[in-house]
Amino acid sequence: MPEPSTSPSPPPVVIERWSPPGTTVITGAAGWLGRALVHRLLADPHRRALRLLAHSTAEAADLRAFIAAERAAGATAVTAVEIVIGDVAKADTAARLLYGLTTDTDVLHTAGVIHPSRVRQFYEVNTNGTRHLAQAAGDAGVRRFVHVSSNSPFGTNPDPADTFRHDEPFHPYLGYGASKMQAEMAVDEAVAAGLDATIVRPPWFYGPFQPPRQTTFFRMVRTGKFPVIGKGDQRRSMVYVDNLVDGVFCAELVPAARGKGYWIADERAYTVDEIVETVGRALTDEGLSVTPPTTRLPTLAARVAEAGDRVLQAVGLYQQQLHVLGEMGHTIAVDISRSTAEIGYVPQVALYEGMRRSIRWCLDQGLEL
Amino acid sequence: MPQVPALPVVGSFAQRLLATDLPDLPTAKRNETVGFVAHRIDTLPSFTRFGVLVLGSVFRTLLAVPGGWTAVSVLMKLPLPLVAEYPRLIRSLSFAYVWEHWPSTTPTGAST
Amino acid sequence: MPPDVPVQRATVAMDAEVLVIGSGAGGATTASVLAEAGFDVLVVEEGEWVEQGSVVPFSLEQMDRQYRAGGVTVALGLPSIAYTEGRCAGGGTEVNSGLYWRPPGDVLERWRDQFQIVDFDPADLLAIADEVERDISVCTAPGAYSEPSEVLRRGADKLGWRNGEIPRWMSYPSADDAAGGQRQSMTRTYLPRAMRAGARLAVGCRVDRLVTRHGTAASALTTLADGSKGTITFRHVFVCGGAIQSPALLQRSGIHGHIGRSLAVHPTVKLAARFADSLNVPDDVPVHQVKEFAPHLSFGGSASNPGLVALTLLDQWPTFRNAITQWEQMSVYYAAITSEGLGKVRSVPHMKDPIVTYGLTWRDRALLRSGLARLALLMLEAGALEVYPSFKGAPSVRNRRDVATMQQAFSATKASVMTVHLCSTVPMGELEGRTGADSFGRVHGCTNIFVNDASLLPTAPGVNPQASVMAFAIRNARRFAATGGRRA
Repeated sequence: MPEPSTSPSPPPVVIERWSPPGTTVITGAAGWLGRALVHRLLADPHRRALRLLAHSTAEAADLRAFIAAERAAGATAVTAVEIVIGDVAKADTAARLLYGLTTDTDVLHTAGVIHPSRVRQFYEVNTNGTRHLAQAAGDAGVRRFVHVSSNSPFGTNPDPADTFRHDEPFHPYLGYGASKMQAEMAVDEAVAAGLDATIVRPPWFYGPFQPPRQTTFFRMVRTGKFPVIGKGDQRRSMVYVDNLVDGVFCAELVPAARGKGYWIADERAYTVDEIVETVGRALTDEGLSVTPPTTRLPTLAARVAEAGDRVLQAVGLYQQQLHVLGEMGHTIAVDISRSTAEIGYVPQVALYEGMRRSIRWCLDQGLEL
Repeated sequence: MPQVPALPVVGSFAQRLLATDLPDLPTAKRNETVGFVAHRIDTLPSFTRFGVLVLGSVFRTLLAVPGGWTAVSVLMKLPLPLVAEYPRLIRSLSFAYVWEHWPSTTPTGAST
Repeated sequence: MPPDVPVQRATVAMDAEVLVIGSGAGGATTASVLAEAGFDVLVVEEGEWVEQGSVVPFSLEQMDRQYRAGGVTVALGLPSIAYTEGRCAGGGTEVNSGLYWRPPGDVLERWRDQFQIVDFDPADLLAIADEVERDISVCTAPGAYSEPSEVLRRGADKLGWRNGEIPRWMSYPSADDAAGGQRQSMTRTYLPRAMRAGARLAVGCRVDRLVTRHGTAASALTTLADGSKGTITFRHVFVCGGAIQSPALLQRSGIHGHIGRSLAVHPTVKLAARFADSLNVPDDVPVHQVKEFAPHLSFGGSASNPGLVALTLLDQWPTFRNAITQWEQMSVYYAAITSEGLGKVRSVPHMKDPIVTYGLTWRDRALLRSGLARLALLMLEAGALEVYPSFKGAPSVRNRRDVATMQQAFSATKASVMTVHLCSTVPMGELEGRTGADSFGRVHGCTNIFVNDASLLPTAPGVNPQASVMAFAIRNARRFAATGGRRA
């Protein structure tokens, strides 16, 4: 049978890695991914100093309390932690953040807005913030700049069986996607001007330090009210936040990753039905009572929500529920094989285990599921 | 059932369209191209041919009145699904013919 | 014409034990199996016998002589989808790209299970495919690939996308000359074979209608090339006119049921890519295809003579027209999808030709968009200086940023969508309501009327369907020969 020959790129035998830098700078440090990074870094004996960007004095205070709690729990490896207060969207923040640092510095840029109240915030924070930072990092000559992007610059897969490959054309999904696409382009421009940067692209992530909207997700699954769209055969790539942290470190420390972008997700995508079933099982195994899923919406409902989202965003407004429902009708599946081959990213925690850990974390925080 | 030949119906419009799109195409080549277009329309499947000739008659009638070409130009710019197919068909057949037969034709129709 | 092939012109009164209507991939194989089994076979063909080499492949003259309606046929819809049908001795096999794909095993199993095709083992069909491959000498091209083919390979390799050379039914007299290949179409293979076994081929004969009574046909009413009317009497009839003409003929003959209601196609969108050096091959197509996203999405190369390059630029002529002066540095490529949409073939009383319609789904449109963007990306990776997508309002593409702009501007409704690979208008199987013929091609509710062409394939196979058509036609014809045409 005639079968086209395959032409895979041969994986490098050994992936060369840098040692961790003198200073690790993190933007969006008080955020979900930011906290997960700080959590890991504080306990890492190879890291020396952290410089964290917080958005406001209140957020800085919150971050200090978080660090104190982490230290009390035994994460005492890194003692030099500095907190800089500033709005990433403002042009002078980046220079202040990087002031006085040597080239023995890596920047992990996680700051971003995903559910704003106004569409323009997407561009102010995600696009302009990234442009300012990337330029400043280039000027400062940092060793590596890791930009946390998203699947959204690439939109959604055109068919439930389709999977995004390593290299795909941009097709941004609404305002968030467009702002993150422009952010990637700004990073590419900075790279052309001499910055050493790598982009990581996580799809839907979950796990400890999650914001309240994710608690809602567990509650909806537990009460059988999570809206499965159509046949529930849409596929979703997901990533446990700790796996994402691994991926960010891989992107940070592999010299050959300069100028490239990598998907950071689980080994394979899951159908929405499988996600709901797995989360239900994890909830049950954590001792919670779970009502079997009852809420199925026709595909049309997701299309209508998406159309509504588009109309609102066109006039500058953003409505979170509408956005999430609209996107639920789509497949967002990515292929991580190149991330494994080139930067050595291997997801350690699978969906069921990750969900159990997340549920336990929520319960430990005293959150009501 | 005897067929209505396409040339008298589509000829004037095709001539005008080609004169506009490819102003430097020599008259002899333009006539030859229009002849080819009409021949192809004559061999279209019956239903498509009927539709094309109905549209062709509308365009021909419009062209016959003073200022008709302006009206036709406006009509072609409107996003009317079936109406837009007519000039598109004429263009497709003409361009395919011109460049297959005279590949060094310039974008304005001149011979090089 | 090869000396051992006595092609005749149809006459007003003919008779045969088995009448085969159409001489393409379905009809030619059917005729050869039945003639070799001892049946008295008459094949009638609406078009003419055109000797290979007497017309330039993919030229307007070829379209005139070997295609239905000069190649200008369209399925109405938003957008309307242009399609082509061969209309000559040998049918589509004389004019297509000659690329050979076996039916994928999983597709065969799905057809068997979903459409309830009985006595059907995919392995048996693949064994027939082995025979077909020998008979029409399926092989890869010798020597170097053409540059338009190399473009596909190079771009896909850079992206890490699965690609490869698709073998063709060609014989190559010279071991290092791919351009000297001789297409092993039906006029070179199964038609001469059928005639050597006693079959008669009559060209210039259109069948207007089968005269049927209680599901049994006894004669066919015909129109000859000179316009005169004729009649053919027979005991059995195989309708092999292709996925548009076969259901249309059945409908004109008063046969209804699931006929013409489920036309399946592989819609494609195109672009032209311009490179630094000359690469255009006016009379052949690339042999590489990119199957990374198969089955739902595939990329390949199209015929690219200067007329066809101009056609690709047509939708955006005011901004793209200057590129035509560089047609020698350009080649045309396509992105093809499997479609979830549905087409219909409807015969209308007093109209010679059927009305064909096709509706793309929301998902089909998204897939065409994504396919065109991925193809543009591949072209940039292969070194294209500029890419010209074929849709109204398209920007030209020089870099990745432009690909994003292009993808945003795309809408299938504004695109030049075309298709080959028409099938599934008389799906085979026992599943009630969704099949038009039984598991061996006998039209449901009929005794001696069979369909044996692309119409039978239950869905579009996701690959070039000719191999599937030939293998099924041989399988069904052998069954007919074994049972003498009696119901099993």
